Amino acid sequence: MLNTLLEQSSLFLQQLVNGVTLGSIYALIAVGYTMVYGVIQLINFAHGEIYMLGAFLSFSLVTGFFGIGLPFGLAVVIAVIFCALAGVFLDIVAYRPLRRAPRLAALITAIGMSIFLQNLALLIWGAQIKSFPRAVVPAFLFAPALQFGDVVISWLQVVILTTAVLLMVMLQLIVHYTRIGRAMRAIAQDKTAAALMGVNVDRVVSYTFALGSGLGGVAGILVGLYYNAVYPTMGYFAGIKAFAAAVLGGIGSIPGAILGGGILGLAEVFGGGYISSSYSDGIAYAVMILVILVKPTGLFGRFARDKA
Amino acid sequence: MKNKAMHLDDRLFSDKKLYLPLLAVVLILPWLPMGIAGPYVIRIATLTLVYMVLALGLNVVPGFTGLLDLGYVGFFGIGAYTAGLLTVYYHWSLWLVLPLAALNGALWGILRGAPTLRLSDDYFAIVTFGFSELIILVIKNELWLTRGPMGVPGIARPDLFGIVLNQPWQTYYLIFFFLLLVLWTVVRIRSSRLGRAWFAIREDEIAAECVGVNVARYKIIAFALSAAIGALAGAFYARWFRFIHPDMFKFWESILILCLIVFGGMGSITGALVGALVLIPLTEILRIVLPPEFSNARYLVFGLLIVVMMRWRPAGLLPVEKD
Repeated sequence: MLNTLLEQSSLFLQQLVNGVTLGSIYALIAVGYTMVYGVIQLINFAHGEIYMLGAFLSFSLVTGFFGIGLPFGLAVVIAVIFCALAGVFLDIVAYRPLRRAPRLAALITAIGMSIFLQNLALLIWGAQIKSFPRAVVPAFLFAPALQFGDVVISWLQVVILTTAVLLMVMLQLIVHYTRIGRAMRAIAQDKTAAALMGVNVDRVVSYTFALGSGLGGVAGILVGLYYNAVYPTMGYFAGIKAFAAAVLGGIGSIPGAILGGGILGLAEVFGGGYISSSYSDGIAYAVMILVILVKPTGLFGRFARDKA
Repeated sequence: MKNKAMHLDDRLFSDKKLYLPLLAVVLILPWLPMGIAGPYVIRIATLTLVYMVLALGLNVVPGFTGLLDLGYVGFFGIGAYTAGLLTVYYHWSLWLVLPLAALNGALWGILRGAPTLRLSDDYFAIVTFGFSELIILVIKNELWLTRGPMGVPGIARPDLFGIVLNQPWQTYYLIFFFLLLVLWTVVRIRSSRLGRAWFAIREDEIAAECVGVNVARYKIIAFALSAAIGALAGAFYARWFRFIHPDMFKFWESILILCLIVFGGMGSITGALVGALVLIPLTEILRIVLPPEFSNARYLVFGLLIVVMMRWRPAGLLPVEKD
């Protein structure tokens, strides 16, 4: 009796740890959706692909896929910078020309970009699931950091959590205490008024894409390590779940995205563990639809996306 | 003179010079001397006609009412599974199964559409997307009904007056008949009161409401019609292909169908047909021409095409003329 109780509770704790890890990754991606939506009211469908690129680039750089193998840390930094630049490039090439076009045009373009990037990755890297060879990744990541009975927290989980928390804190500092952050908030409130006050809207939007995409890239690398699997469609599923998290938290709100990511990560792990593992992917969709239908502003949202 | 000023969509059925040659080409296609490539060409032609039906059906919602539907393949799947399972379990005739599938599609179209009435464009798109993903998940997991990832093999071929249609040209004419039926329906509706109400909603929903258009009612009709057409195409597909599998109804299919109407021109009936006529054979050609390791990446072309069209020709190749 006591034994089963112990087993149950350690299973519960393990699920909790896994859920929080997953949630912090979703939060990292969700922030990218929510920031872009905040400034230009666009659902950037291609954000999931940026995340996928982060995973692929770091993988390619450490394994020498492009000819030279780099040390792990350097590869990660380069991959993240590349993701940030890719986000900016995406905006300039695809979305900026459509700023004044009907919103449907930009939304369709975003879907087109998402498909384009996903298939580009398929062409470059192939459909086979890639995994990071153990030799190139710092070994301590796979060692357990903490262990209570059956509950194991690996160093990788610790790294994922601390990275996510640090980046979120940094992001909040940028958004609230820097000039560029103030400009972002101003544009989110009223783009025209901000432009009239001398805010260079295009430049701020570029910074927003860079920040969001950089965070997405970090998330991609972390997931690539966590599941030890990198493949072209990884951005599709993670993207949807992170988007659901952003909607749940209230799209446009950064704290909302963080909270939404956490809730969704936990819901997925616990739903998969205790309700039905075959429907664990469905939880994100169901949450997304329910929130949109019942409370479109989400938990902290400002955008009442009713008929404008 | 008057004919020239008319939009292509309206000329499609009224201008003999336009439709007679087209009709002739479609009708004699199976009898052209194609040698060994014959069955293959007819198969591609049949597939193209299926996608024409799908494009016409999808066009009703984003094209006529201006709401972006990202989950159209869900209705294709519902139709295919309704028809496929009824055929496999009860051995019913196509002519019983097909209307039931279309009705089931319409029902789900209404169920999906009703709660979304007050949502704005991008949230509507998200709900449609989530809905179709949920449908695929249900098909994948409810093994007792759908056999899940094993798929449903051995679906009976279409039949007509008790005769089984087992020649490729017979099914080809059959889907052509359904295409004409759907085409006639959407062309007629387009220039009816219903069509004008949809266009009013597309241009400005609030203004439409103000001049007395019952927006909710007309949107629901659009959802039901669009879904029914998608399910009809699915029902035919199941009986023609004789095997259905959840992976056939993935998100990409929705995007492919969307790509057809974006390419041809959203809201344009001729555009939807031309989009399918150009792009579906193109996918098949790409599948053959590209080496196998690249043929999976042929959607790259579609992604790029969508982006380029939106950037330089947002109204498509055959844009709808506006008064």
